[in-house]
Amino acid sequence: MSKLSSLLRVAALWLSFALTVPASAQRLLVPMDDSQEDHLKAYGVTYNALKEGLTGEWLLNYRGGAFLLPDTPEMRKRAALAGVTFDAIDDGQLGAIRAEIANSNMDAVPLEKAPRIAVYSPPEALPWDDAVTLALKYAGIDYTRIYDDEVEHGDLTKYEWLHLHHEDFTGQLNKFYLTYREAPWFIELMQQNLTAAKRLGFASVPALKKDVAEKIRQFVERGGFLFAMCGATETLELAMAGHDVDLASAYIDGTPMDDDADRKMDWKRAFAFRDAHLEHSPFVNSMSDIDGHQVNVPGRRQPLGTFTLFNFSAKFDPVPSMLVQNHRSVVNDFYGVTTSFTRTVIKPGDVILAEEPGAPWVKYIHGDYGKGTWTYYGGHDPEDPQHAIGNAPTDLSLHKNSPGYRLILNNVLFPAAKKKPLKT
Amino acid sequence: MSRSPSAGRGTRVAGRGFRASLVFLAFALGAPLAALRAQRAEDTTAFYKALELESAGKYKEAAPLFRTALNTSSAVSALLGLERVYAEVGWSDSLLPPLDTLIRRNPHESVYRSVQLRTLQSLGREEQLRTAINHWVQDAPGDPSPYREYARLLLQRGLTASADSVIRSARQALGSTNELQLEIAQLRAAMGLWEESAQAWRLALASSPYLEQAAIYALTPTPPATRAAVRQVLLASPVDVPARRALAGLEMGWGSPADGWLALKDLPADSASAAAWTDFASRAELEERWPLARDALVAALRWRRTPEATLRAANAAVRAGDPGAALALLPVEGPGSQVTDSARAARTSVPLQARALAMVGRPAAAERLVERFDRWFTPGTRTVLTRAVALGWVRSGDMARARASLSSAGTEGDSSDAAGWLALYEGNLRTARVLLRTSTEATPELATALAIVARIHADSVPSLGRAFLMLARNDSAGAATAFVEAADRQAASDATSILLSTAAQLRAALHDDTQAIALWRRIVEQTASTPEAPSAELEWARALRRHGDAAAAVARLEHLILTYPQSALVPQARRELDLARAGIPGTT
Repeated sequence: MSKLSSLLRVAALWLSFALTVPASAQRLLVPMDDSQEDHLKAYGVTYNALKEGLTGEWLLNYRGGAFLLPDTPEMRKRAALAGVTFDAIDDGQLGAIRAEIANSNMDAVPLEKAPRIAVYSPPEALPWDDAVTLALKYAGIDYTRIYDDEVEHGDLTKYEWLHLHHEDFTGQLNKFYLTYREAPWFIELMQQNLTAAKRLGFASVPALKKDVAEKIRQFVERGGFLFAMCGATETLELAMAGHDVDLASAYIDGTPMDDDADRKMDWKRAFAFRDAHLEHSPFVNSMSDIDGHQVNVPGRRQPLGTFTLFNFSAKFDPVPSMLVQNHRSVVNDFYGVTTSFTRTVIKPGDVILAEEPGAPWVKYIHGDYGKGTWTYYGGHDPEDPQHAIGNAPTDLSLHKNSPGYRLILNNVLFPAAKKKPLKT
Repeated sequence: MSRSPSAGRGTRVAGRGFRASLVFLAFALGAPLAALRAQRAEDTTAFYKALELESAGKYKEAAPLFRTALNTSSAVSALLGLERVYAEVGWSDSLLPPLDTLIRRNPHESVYRSVQLRTLQSLGREEQLRTAINHWVQDAPGDPSPYREYARLLLQRGLTASADSVIRSARQALGSTNELQLEIAQLRAAMGLWEESAQAWRLALASSPYLEQAAIYALTPTPPATRAAVRQVLLASPVDVPARRALAGLEMGWGSPADGWLALKDLPADSASAAAWTDFASRAELEERWPLARDALVAALRWRRTPEATLRAANAAVRAGDPGAALALLPVEGPGSQVTDSARAARTSVPLQARALAMVGRPAAAERLVERFDRWFTPGTRTVLTRAVALGWVRSGDMARARASLSSAGTEGDSSDAAGWLALYEGNLRTARVLLRTSTEATPELATALAIVARIHADSVPSLGRAFLMLARNDSAGAATAFVEAADRQAASDATSILLSTAAQLRAALHDDTQAIALWRRIVEQTASTPEAPSAELEWARALRRHGDAAAAVARLEHLILTYPQSALVPQARRELDLARAGIPGTT
């Protein structure tokens, strides 16, 4: 190879580098306060930047939890297509922002690697059935749907982030049997679950679901990030603590629930709760006293209020801070099979992220388990507070600034944060 | 025959005594009756006084008067009043003791029971509520009312599972739930069991047709995928007018009014069907769905023909662009025929007949009819009909007669917007620009014409006139071709994009997406800086999505958003982009 040709190659390389690096070394600031046109898609733009190998920063408590991203033509294009508001800032402006962050309850957390996302959901479920898949779809964040077969075959190891929604891990199909046993969709659901249990070598649906719960427990213990909503929160806990207890009614496994189930529960195996009391009646549409609102039980049902996000120290508690980043501190509550978590059954080490002040329940909790973390968010759909089966799906293009949905997407992004040594 | 004086006296005495006793009896009876009337008047006064106080917002003052009236014949109304005022002042629990008394006194009065249940529910006394229900069931065995009331209360609170349990208990206790169809219908809808809900609504409507609006309200949220099943239930044999009416209402709400008419068109001709047709027509008229209004009104005429109904049907036919049907409904009689009330005819049937004749290609007949009734027309009607006749001549290709027709209306006709249209058809844009601006009729055609002539600087463009003339003659395909030809002429080069856009709209309306897409592409590629370019690209993307080419639609939408970031169409483009990428649920 001639000297000239190698010189030309070097020159070409230099030229390509010079063309790709912006002359002014600008950054894109994606504000997340009220100036943001589409909060939900801003998460998608950030997540996809990380997925493609770029890095960014999450400016906790700065302008509603703004994102700082490299200023590239592709980033600008994506933000424009998504309708995400951004400001190009130069080094001087960035310096001023960093100074403000240093002097306030704010922090800048590096975002490095987009987590691989799995959503535990039946193969036939539509994205619109679950608030998380709704949000992921709308934000343009890819995910893989997994269900019992994949979990049983060990596929959880392929993912960093796992979401659960309205699965009933006690195997009682959310006690919908009480009301919907004649509905074609319920008959089909029951049949699918019975077939799956048989196919995977379990004696009953509850046995299968408890084993899936156990594998999810191990996933978190090994370092996975778990985010659960609605009935999955409560039933996962019951299935883990009741691993060796018959929790299910006779309609699903042929035997009634163990009369002594309350006493036999091993709450050490659970992430978030302790000493909860199980609902023994198969005719009462409730699993336990973990849920504060008991939406499907006449006489116990509690009205919806609002919940308040806790203002954490961004520098000392970056993880809870990330989980509560929002442009609103008070959010309208919304029902789900499990809407909230009774204070009396929460383990002392749990971090309460949001609560209804004065009420005997909290809405949003988080904690560590083994090498991983779990986060529970009560309720079904933040923009459909009275959600009922058969309701039209939520169209997030009509709720693109939803503070309730932002909390979901905070969870998707927080595993991307690089752990920083705590300031002491 | 002699009569003993004593006997006579005795008789007289006896007679006096009898009269006296009658008087006494009358007095004895009359005294309490009068007292009762006075008492009742007093009670009624108390009740009405209480109502007055309640209306004035003096709830605390109204409460004792309502309580007083509980012991009168107005007890039911008084109780309802007491319920209202106690709720206002937060004393609902004070209603329970008098309710116990009233129920003991009359255990079969369902209003007392309903108020009791409502009160207990509002106070959150679930145990007492259940006890009250049980007592009602025991006191009125075989009566569906307690189940109905309880199920309703639970449904109002969204407790579908509990309401379902109540319905099942009713079935067990009563042996049937025929009396609870309304509650079952509402319950099934709340549970998302739309087909079952439709079945129950059908049964409920059969006995209570007045529930039609409630049925429509409850079934309107049926997801698109389940609507076919609901249709099947409501259309099933035997034909049931209330069910068909409900389906027609649902179809209107679901945005498929033509299917609404299909639900009604086969009904047997009787008074109930005629009412259904007329009601449907009224809604169609309100929404300016003239073909549907025409069909429904013509159907109603099969049952009973009245002059008013005939005029409505003819009007709908003219507006639907069906002059033949209008003339069939209102046949034009010969010039020698006698019209009993010419003034009335000039107000009602003649304008419709003249417009229909002009539209159907018989402008000469229209002109004769207008001349015959001219002296009875108001100036406004005369202007409209002169214009209609002139356009009739335009449609039949005789521009000279059209102009003559306008001239016959004097200087007013020559300076009218109709004259502006004639000028436009002749390609005389200079005159068209001036006269069309005077139009008071804001139609889409006028907006398009004004937008186009405003963009062209030349005063004469005959090719453009031909395009509009074809449009006036209802030759949309020919007009689309002519607009493209006009766009290619140098004289109209200022308006190339809007002319192509008009042609594309015509092609799209003719369901000729291939030609429409070719035109939109040409606008985007050749006239990218014009206002029509982003809208053309949006329509192009929509057409691609309709044809299932989501990837190509995404490319167009991305191009639009990035190329025209300031366009007012960008939010629509982003929504289309979400739909094309399946990022949000599809619209119905």
